[in-house]
Amino acid sequence: MSFKPDYQPFVLDGDQLRQTVINYASNPLYLDNEEWQNDDNPYRRQLRPQVLQYLDFSRVLQPDEILTYSALAANRLLTTIYEADLVLLPKTQFAERRADFTGFYSTTNRVQGEMIRPYLERHVFGFLDDEVEVTGPWTKDDLQAFLRRLQEEPDDQPSKSELAIARSSDPKRALRNWLIQFAPDFLAEASPMIRNVMGYYGPVQSAWFKVIIDEYGYGVHRTKHSTLFERTLASVGLHSDLHRYWQYYLASSLMLSNYFHYLGKNHENFFRYLGALYYTETELVGFCRRAASLMSSVFGEEADTLYFTEHVHIDGHHSRMVLEELISPIVDQCGASVIPEIVRGYEEFRVLSQIADEDFAAQVQWMDSGPENKNLHDPIWAKVEAGEITAPVAHLVEPRGELSNTHQHDADELCHIRSGTMKFVSGYDAHQILEAGQGTVIWGNRLHGAIIESPECVYEIHSVKDYRACLS
Amino acid sequence: MLVLTFAVAGAGNCVELEGMPYVFARTRVASLVMPVKCAHRGGPLHLAEFIGSDTRLTCPWHGRRVSVTRLLAQSPPAVRRGNTVTAVFRVPAGTRHTIRHLPLSAALSAAGPRPGGAGSGP
Ligand code: FES
Ligand SMILES: [Fe+2]
Repeated sequence: MSFKPDYQPFVLDGDQLRQTVINYASNPLYLDNEEWQNDDNPYRRQLRPQVLQYLDFSRVLQPDEILTYSALAANRLLTTIYEADLVLLPKTQFAERRADFTGFYSTTNRVQGEMIRPYLERHVFGFLDDEVEVTGPWTKDDLQAFLRRLQEEPDDQPSKSELAIARSSDPKRALRNWLIQFAPDFLAEASPMIRNVMGYYGPVQSAWFKVIIDEYGYGVHRTKHSTLFERTLASVGLHSDLHRYWQYYLASSLMLSNYFHYLGKNHENFFRYLGALYYTETELVGFCRRAASLMSSVFGEEADTLYFTEHVHIDGHHSRMVLEELISPIVDQCGASVIPEIVRGYEEFRVLSQIADEDFAAQVQWMDSGPENKNLHDPIWAKVEAGEITAPVAHLVEPRGELSNTHQHDADELCHIRSGTMKFVSGYDAHQILEAGQGTVIWGNRLHGAIIESPECVYEIHSVKDYRACLS
Repeated sequence: MLVLTFAVAGAGNCVELEGMPYVFARTRVASLVMPVKCAHRGGPLHLAEFIGSDTRLTCPWHGRRVSVTRLLAQSPPAVRRGNTVTAVFRVPAGTRHTIRHLPLSAALSAAGPRPGGAGSGP
């Protein structure tokens, strides 16, 4: 009998996708934590499998949905999936973490992660297809002119995040939260980039390898960039074990580091990676200069800024290297048809950087507004009691120590405490204590969690949608 | 080379250099940075529509048709990011230019064809 090839694409239907996602995230490593921080255990990440049944990862998020809970959940999943390719070890007590190590690198974890990954990538990054559009006939000279312009742009303007930190009511807290956002990227620095150094593709492969050698401090661990970043963290009282602060990562922070994994994992995006790499290396020069001075102005002498000052020098060099030793020769080798992909990666990363900048600035405002949001409970609650506001309500009873792992809601909510005590957490080192009769406004798309600090806490969540409208 | 950034729609959506205004057009055939003076007598191509053709725009002055594909092949290379477009004009970097507004016809403000989904798989 003759063989009839019948090559079928890999597809999960909606139910299969949902089931596989839930099963993946139900790995004991990914269940809710009873603590706010992970303890020197790079395999533990809170994925909140209990709510995944309500999310639809089969669709592409629209630009106005990119900071919703669905995006946060998908980005948490993606980070976890990508990192199964990396070697991660705790700093100490490996023997106690041995079972977690095995579970994290298990076939079940890896294979199921791979099955859902393309859907999650499309869910999170699909909006870029509409957001960025490259057109017209590009030559190498056009590309050079286009890319070089970024080097000429003034880089002394503070970003929205930097302004938010400088103007925060608690700049130290804001800045620590900021550094926490970089941890997933900086501690495993250059890991996505290394995905592109394997293979066989000519002289650019060697140039690519040189960039990595720089990142890795020429094999001297003391000078490895991640080591410098660990010192930065320690100088402001933060730990550097990987994903200790998992629960405080914003969707957009994970999205930035996931984007490079996404490009590096799927090699059809190789050329896009070059554009994105050029953008980030060039931007980093001004960013690092500003970050170093911001750190010094907030923390004074104690701040270790070597990570940032080192990058001011090396990234100016990298920016040129990426242009002259990676992009230019790859266009010579592969032809002008790859240029639109390079331009696309450059602009896509620019889109994501802007989203992350605005997201973090909003998070600082959210943390700073804790006392005010607590005060705002009273007038809104009065309207609820008077029957002037009727919104869907959830009644909850939780015991002492119950920790709502961090999450966010797609619209504003009002939390009202009937009895007991809740510690409402809106970021690292940011919380309000809510007692019986009190409560808080919860902004839509803003990361938060809570822990019960009395034997029992009875509380209500009113889905008021728009708290400002409630006040008018 | 002159690299310019301007708006896709609304205020500042037209850049004029060396006597020629350009806009970013999103037609059903393709998106492109296009010169808006008709080659015939300088008619307003930013107001052109598809009339009796799916691929060629009709100039509102004397009805001459111009192929979008042909315009695209001669257009300055460009990239749109959201409502912003950056284009590379093959003129000296210091070339004088002005940025202003031009209204666009419906044919030029349709969203372009959607490329395929992101990601390797489905
Ligand atoms: S000016 Fe366009 S057809 Fe005459
Ligand atoms: Fe909540």
